[in-house]
Amino acid sequence: MTENKETPAYQVQPTFRQKFKPMQAREAMEAVLKEKLQGQQYSVEQVPSWTRDIADAVKNKLKEFEYDRYKIIVQVVIGELRGEGVKMACRCFWDENSDKHVSFTFSNDSLFCTATAFAVYHY
Amino acid sequence: MDVDTEGAFVADEIKTSVKETVDSVLHDAVYDHDKVSQWTNQIVEDCTKKLVGLQKPFKYIVTCVIMQRTGAGIHTAASCFWDSSSDGYAVVRVDTKSMYAIATVFGVAL
Repeated sequence: MTENKETPAYQVQPTFRQKFKPMQAREAMEAVLKEKLQGQQYSVEQVPSWTRDIADAVKNKLKEFEYDRYKIIVQVVIGELRGEGVKMACRCFWDENSDKHVSFTFSNDSLFCTATAFAVYHY
Repeated sequence: MDVDTEGAFVADEIKTSVKETVDSVLHDAVYDHDKVSQWTNQIVEDCTKKLVGLQKPFKYIVTCVIMQRTGAGIHTAASCFWDSSSDGYAVVRVDTKSMYAIATVFGVAL
Protein backbone atom coordinates (compact mmCIF):
# COMPACT_ATOMS: atom_id res chain seq x y z
CA MET A 1 0.00 0.00 0.00
CA THR A 2 1.60 3.27 -1.04
CA GLU A 3 0.91 6.63 0.52
CA ASN A 4 0.81 9.64 -1.73
CA LYS A 5 1.03 12.14 1.08
CA GLU A 6 3.58 14.93 0.75
CA THR A 7 5.27 15.39 4.10
CA PRO A 8 6.67 18.89 4.52
CA ALA A 9 10.44 18.71 4.57
CA TYR A 10 13.08 21.25 5.51
CA GLN A 11 15.69 21.55 2.83
CA VAL A 12 19.19 20.93 4.23
CA GLN A 13 20.99 20.70 0.90
CA PRO A 14 20.77 22.87 -2.18
CA THR A 15 19.28 21.24 -5.25
CA PHE A 16 21.59 20.85 -8.21
CA ARG A 17 20.34 24.04 -9.83
CA GLN A 18 20.70 26.03 -6.60
CA LYS A 19 24.30 25.00 -5.92
CA PHE A 20 27.03 27.61 -5.93
CA LYS A 21 28.79 27.56 -9.29
CA PRO A 22 32.53 28.12 -8.78
CA MET A 23 33.37 28.72 -12.45
CA GLN A 24 30.73 31.39 -12.81
CA ALA A 25 32.05 33.10 -9.67
CA ARG A 26 35.62 32.81 -10.92
CA GLU A 27 34.76 34.64 -14.14
CA ALA A 28 33.11 37.40 -12.15
CA MET A 29 36.13 37.73 -9.87
CA GLU A 30 38.50 37.77 -12.83
CA ALA A 31 36.50 40.59 -14.44
CA VAL A 32 36.52 42.69 -11.25
CA LEU A 33 40.25 42.27 -10.60
CA LYS A 34 41.25 43.04 -14.17
CA GLU A 35 39.02 46.09 -14.27
CA LYS A 36 40.36 47.52 -11.01
CA LEU A 37 44.04 46.67 -11.27
CA GLN A 38 44.97 46.58 -14.96
CA GLY A 39 47.93 48.88 -15.44
CA GLN A 40 48.10 50.01 -11.82
CA GLN A 41 51.29 50.34 -9.80
CA TYR A 42 51.60 49.43 -6.14
CA SER A 43 51.20 52.57 -4.04
CA VAL A 44 51.16 52.61 -0.24
CA GLU A 45 48.42 55.22 0.00
CA GLN A 46 45.99 53.66 -2.45
CA VAL A 47 46.34 49.92 -1.88
CA PRO A 48 44.37 49.81 1.43
CA SER A 49 41.35 51.35 -0.28
CA TRP A 50 41.83 49.12 -3.33
CA THR A 51 41.67 45.97 -1.20
CA ARG A 52 38.46 47.11 0.47
CA ASP A 53 36.89 48.21 -2.81
CA ILE A 54 37.77 44.97 -4.55
CA ALA A 55 36.43 42.87 -1.67
CA ASP A 56 33.15 44.78 -1.71
CA ALA A 57 32.90 44.73 -5.51
CA VAL A 58 33.44 40.96 -5.69
CA LYS A 59 30.93 40.38 -2.91
CA ASN A 60 28.32 42.55 -4.65
CA LYS A 61 28.88 40.75 -7.93
CA LEU A 62 28.38 37.39 -6.26
CA LYS A 63 25.23 38.69 -4.56
CA GLU A 64 23.87 39.55 -8.01
CA PHE A 65 23.86 35.87 -8.91
CA GLU A 66 21.27 35.43 -6.13
CA TYR A 67 22.38 32.09 -4.75
CA ASP A 68 19.60 31.08 -2.43
CA ARG A 69 20.50 30.59 1.27
CA TYR A 70 24.23 31.01 0.71
CA LYS A 71 26.42 33.18 2.91
CA ILE A 72 29.37 34.66 1.06
CA ILE A 73 32.84 35.56 2.36
CA VAL A 74 35.40 37.26 0.12
CA GLN A 75 39.02 37.73 1.14
CA VAL A 76 41.42 39.86 -0.91
CA VAL A 77 45.20 40.05 -0.46
CA ILE A 78 47.26 42.60 -2.38
CA GLY A 79 51.04 42.56 -2.09
CA GLU A 80 53.93 44.34 -3.67
CA LEU A 81 56.15 42.25 -5.93
CA ARG A 82 59.70 42.58 -4.70
CA GLY A 83 60.93 39.08 -5.16
CA GLU A 84 59.75 37.98 -1.73
CA GLY A 85 58.20 34.59 -1.10
CA VAL A 86 54.53 34.42 -0.15
CA LYS A 87 52.42 31.40 0.72
CA MET A 88 48.70 31.30 1.42
CA ALA A 89 46.76 28.31 2.74
CA CYS A 90 43.23 27.70 3.91
CA ARG A 91 41.32 24.92 5.64
CA CYS A 92 37.56 24.72 5.99
CA PHE A 93 35.36 22.77 8.34
CA TRP A 94 32.07 22.63 6.47
CA ASP A 95 29.70 20.54 4.41
CA GLU A 96 31.58 19.45 1.31
CA ASN A 97 28.39 18.78 -0.62
CA SER A 98 26.97 22.27 -0.42
CA ASP A 99 29.85 24.64 0.41
CA LYS A 100 32.41 25.73 -2.15
CA HIS A 101 35.35 28.04 -2.50
CA VAL A 102 37.00 29.63 -5.52
CA SER A 103 40.06 31.79 -5.89
CA PHE A 104 41.76 33.88 -8.56
CA THR A 105 45.15 35.59 -8.63
CA PHE A 106 45.97 38.60 -10.75
CA SER A 107 49.49 39.94 -11.09
CA ASN A 108 51.28 42.58 -13.08
CA ASP A 109 54.87 43.75 -12.82
CA SER A 110 54.48 45.64 -9.54
CA LEU A 111 51.80 43.87 -7.55
CA PHE A 112 49.88 40.65 -7.12
CA CYS A 113 46.29 40.30 -5.94
CA THR A 114 44.58 37.13 -4.75
CA ALA A 115 40.84 37.09 -4.24
CA THR A 116 39.19 34.09 -2.58
CA ALA A 117 35.45 33.63 -2.25
CA PHE A 118 33.84 31.12 0.13
CA ALA A 119 30.15 30.21 -0.19
CA VAL A 120 28.58 28.56 2.86
CA TYR A 121 25.07 27.11 2.76
CA HIS A 122 22.83 28.15 5.65
CA TYR A 123 20.67 25.40 7.13
CA MET B 1 12.39 36.94 19.77
CA ASP B 2 15.31 37.14 22.17
CA VAL B 3 18.77 37.50 20.75
CA ASP B 4 20.81 34.51 21.90
CA THR B 5 24.31 35.76 22.64
CA GLU B 6 25.54 32.27 23.47
CA GLY B 7 25.17 31.33 19.84
CA ALA B 8 27.23 34.28 18.63
CA PHE B 9 30.81 34.06 17.45
CA VAL B 10 33.25 34.95 20.24
CA ALA B 11 36.43 36.32 18.73
CA ASP B 12 38.61 36.70 21.83
CA GLU B 13 39.12 33.10 22.87
CA ILE B 14 39.68 32.16 19.25
CA LYS B 15 42.34 34.86 18.85
CA THR B 16 44.34 33.51 21.79
CA SER B 17 44.25 29.94 20.57
CA VAL B 18 45.15 30.92 16.99
CA LYS B 19 48.06 33.04 18.24
CA GLU B 20 49.34 30.12 20.31
CA THR B 21 49.16 27.85 17.27
CA VAL B 22 51.04 30.26 15.02
CA ASP B 23 53.69 30.90 17.67
CA SER B 24 54.21 27.20 18.24
CA VAL B 25 54.62 26.45 14.53
CA LEU B 26 56.87 29.40 13.67
CA HIS B 27 58.59 30.16 17.01
CA ASP B 28 62.00 31.51 15.99
CA ALA B 29 62.14 30.04 12.51
CA VAL B 30 63.81 31.85 9.65
CA TYR B 31 61.89 32.10 6.37
CA ASP B 32 62.65 29.00 4.34
CA HIS B 33 61.07 28.58 0.94
CA ASP B 34 60.98 24.80 1.23
CA LYS B 35 59.32 24.76 4.62
CA VAL B 36 56.80 27.58 4.26
CA SER B 37 54.29 25.28 2.55
CA GLN B 38 54.47 22.90 5.46
CA TRP B 39 54.13 25.76 7.99
CA THR B 40 51.02 27.25 6.42
CA ASN B 41 49.39 23.85 6.16
CA GLN B 42 50.27 22.99 9.71
CA ILE B 43 48.95 26.29 11.05
CA VAL B 44 45.59 26.00 9.30
CA GLU B 45 45.29 22.32 10.17
CA ASP B 46 46.03 22.85 13.89
CA CYS B 47 43.75 25.87 14.10
CA THR B 48 40.90 23.97 12.49
CA LYS B 49 41.33 21.08 14.91
CA LYS B 50 41.28 23.42 17.91
CA LEU B 51 38.18 25.18 16.62
CA VAL B 52 36.37 21.93 16.06
CA GLY B 53 37.32 20.96 19.60
CA LEU B 54 35.35 23.93 20.93
CA GLN B 55 32.23 21.98 19.86
CA LYS B 56 30.22 24.98 18.85
CA PRO B 57 27.57 24.91 16.09
CA PHE B 58 29.73 26.70 13.53
CA LYS B 59 31.31 26.06 10.18
CA TYR B 60 34.87 27.41 10.08
CA ILE B 61 37.12 28.81 7.37
CA VAL B 62 40.76 29.33 8.38
CA THR B 63 43.25 31.06 6.08
CA CYS B 64 46.89 31.85 6.67
CA VAL B 65 49.28 34.04 4.66
CA ILE B 66 53.01 33.90 5.34
CA MET B 67 55.20 36.48 3.66
CA GLN B 68 58.93 36.97 3.76
CA ARG B 69 60.08 40.30 5.17
CA THR B 70 61.84 42.07 2.35
CA GLY B 71 60.37 45.52 2.80
CA ALA B 72 57.50 44.85 0.43
CA GLY B 73 54.00 45.82 1.47
CA ILE B 74 50.96 43.60 1.84
CA HIS B 75 47.30 44.35 2.55
CA THR B 76 44.34 42.10 3.19
CA ALA B 77 40.63 42.89 3.27
CA ALA B 78 37.51 40.81 3.59
CA SER B 79 33.90 41.48 2.71
CA CYS B 80 31.16 39.20 4.02
CA PHE B 81 27.50 38.68 3.25
CA TRP B 82 26.19 36.91 6.37
CA ASP B 83 24.15 37.28 9.52
CA SER B 84 26.22 39.61 11.70
CA SER B 85 24.38 38.66 14.90
CA SER B 86 25.62 35.08 14.74
CA ASP B 87 28.64 35.02 12.41
CA GLY B 88 32.03 36.59 12.92
CA TYR B 89 35.71 36.57 12.19
CA ALA B 90 39.02 36.87 14.03
CA VAL B 91 42.34 38.04 12.59
CA VAL B 92 45.70 37.38 14.20
CA ARG B 93 48.95 38.89 12.99
CA VAL B 94 52.27 37.50 14.13
CA ASP B 95 55.56 39.11 13.14
CA THR B 96 58.88 37.33 13.43
CA LYS B 97 62.28 38.66 12.42
CA SER B 98 62.11 37.19 8.92
CA MET B 99 58.42 36.95 8.08
CA TYR B 100 54.87 38.13 8.56
CA ALA B 101 52.06 35.69 9.27
CA ILE B 102 48.40 36.70 9.06
CA ALA B 103 45.84 34.11 10.15
CA THR B 104 42.11 34.70 9.66
CA VAL B 105 39.25 32.64 11.05
CA PHE B 106 35.70 33.07 9.73
CA GLY B 107 32.92 31.41 11.74
CA VAL B 108 29.53 30.87 10.11
CA ALA B 109 26.65 29.70 12.30
CA LEU B 110 24.75 26.60 11.29
